[in-house]
Amino acid sequence: MSNENPLSLSALNGLVRVAIEEQMPLRYWVTGELSEVRTTSVGHCYIELIERDEATGEMRAKARGTIWSRVYSLLRPYFLQQTGREFTVGLKVLLQVTVNFHELYGFSLDVCDIEPAYTLGDMARQRMLIVQRLTDEGVIDLNKELPFPLLPKRVAVISSATAAGYGDFCDQLNSNLYGFKFDVGLFASPMQGAKVEEGIISALNAIASDVNAWDVVVIIRGGGATSDLSCFDTYDLANNCAQFPLPIITGIGHQRDDTLLDIVAHTRVKTPTAAAELLIHAMLQQAEQLAALQRAIPEAVTQRIANEQRRLDNILQRLPMNVAMLLQQQHHKIDMLEQKMHSFSPERILARGYTLTLCDGRIVGSAAQLKPGDRVVTRFADGEVESEIVKSEN
Amino acid sequence: MEQEYTYATAVARLEEILQLVQNANEDIDRLYKLLKEADELIKFCRARLYEVDGEVKSILDSLGAE
Repeated sequence: MSNENPLSLSALNGLVRVAIEEQMPLRYWVTGELSEVRTTSVGHCYIELIERDEATGEMRAKARGTIWSRVYSLLRPYFLQQTGREFTVGLKVLLQVTVNFHELYGFSLDVCDIEPAYTLGDMARQRMLIVQRLTDEGVIDLNKELPFPLLPKRVAVISSATAAGYGDFCDQLNSNLYGFKFDVGLFASPMQGAKVEEGIISALNAIASDVNAWDVVVIIRGGGATSDLSCFDTYDLANNCAQFPLPIITGIGHQRDDTLLDIVAHTRVKTPTAAAELLIHAMLQQAEQLAALQRAIPEAVTQRIANEQRRLDNILQRLPMNVAMLLQQQHHKIDMLEQKMHSFSPERILARGYTLTLCDGRIVGSAAQLKPGDRVVTRFADGEVESEIVKSEN
Repeated sequence: MEQEYTYATAVARLEEILQLVQNANEDIDRLYKLLKEADELIKFCRARLYEVDGEVKSILDSLGAE
């Protein structure tokens, strides 16, 4: 082609536009990462879609895109409801687009639909990678392995001060039917948006600086299921919570899969109210155990005393019988002795014909004791005679 | 009480006392003493369940003052 009849730029761009319109008339599904998302005051959304090299992260392709307000007003809530994420920078998305070329504005994509399942899959993959990393580092179950306090009464709460969730939690805790008293301290942190990670970590640090003053940490947040919870899915937050020295209870109110924060927490419940119930229940268990001991100990003592009483009664009952037996035995023994004694009495000996000789009232056992002229008394069984010694031989 | 108890050690001692008073070999003269100790421990435990201590409030106050 010669250069004598040059095209105007608009004419050239017009050719490009026609070529593209003819060659690419369909709607195409395309994947990419959102590197820019900007909404206008009238509700249009301008995006930039990029593709990176998986290994190096280097950018390989880039395109501008537009989501007109009539599409965006439906797409944004649908996407949030399906994924739990705002339509923001950094997300991997699968978009249905038409390809446009405008003489003045150049190449761009018009977005007509989105497939949230693709983003969900990517998010799940990201979370899996973090879970794997925490597992490899040996920290993922550290908080779960902490013993839960017997009395979780000193409660450090991380929440936003104005959130309804915090109010619900305090109401539930303070109005418990059993009269348990809790000490609640609020460590305020934003609970949505980009500042969540930083806010919760600095609240945890504040609690850790006086860690003996608290029994348990509760991270709560009110609000619906459709809010963006990706802020609870970061590595740094999960890592800080997993390694925190007090058990952490989460009640961040959502229906879909657990966030990473929930995964590493000691105990996960759905709502702030449920978190309060958990603490009350733990106290109730202790109160019941204490009441059981309070009943059982006096009962056992009463039982013991009754047993001792029975033992004593038993002894008392058997005592008189034993005494009677003892007396009879002694009696018998004495009878025997008496009989024995009787057979050796002097009367019995005299009766058999022996005599007893006395001199001056004393028994004479030897002839040498007597000399002629002594007067002696000889005792017989039936009487005595008196004689004089005439002769003594020995 | 003679020792410094925590809630956990107090409950453990109560359980021990229950065992002791149930044991027929335990001297009957000690029952009164054990019962008295149990009574004090239960009061202590109930206080831990149903009363607040000022500790947390003072910490929060000092945090607020910083």
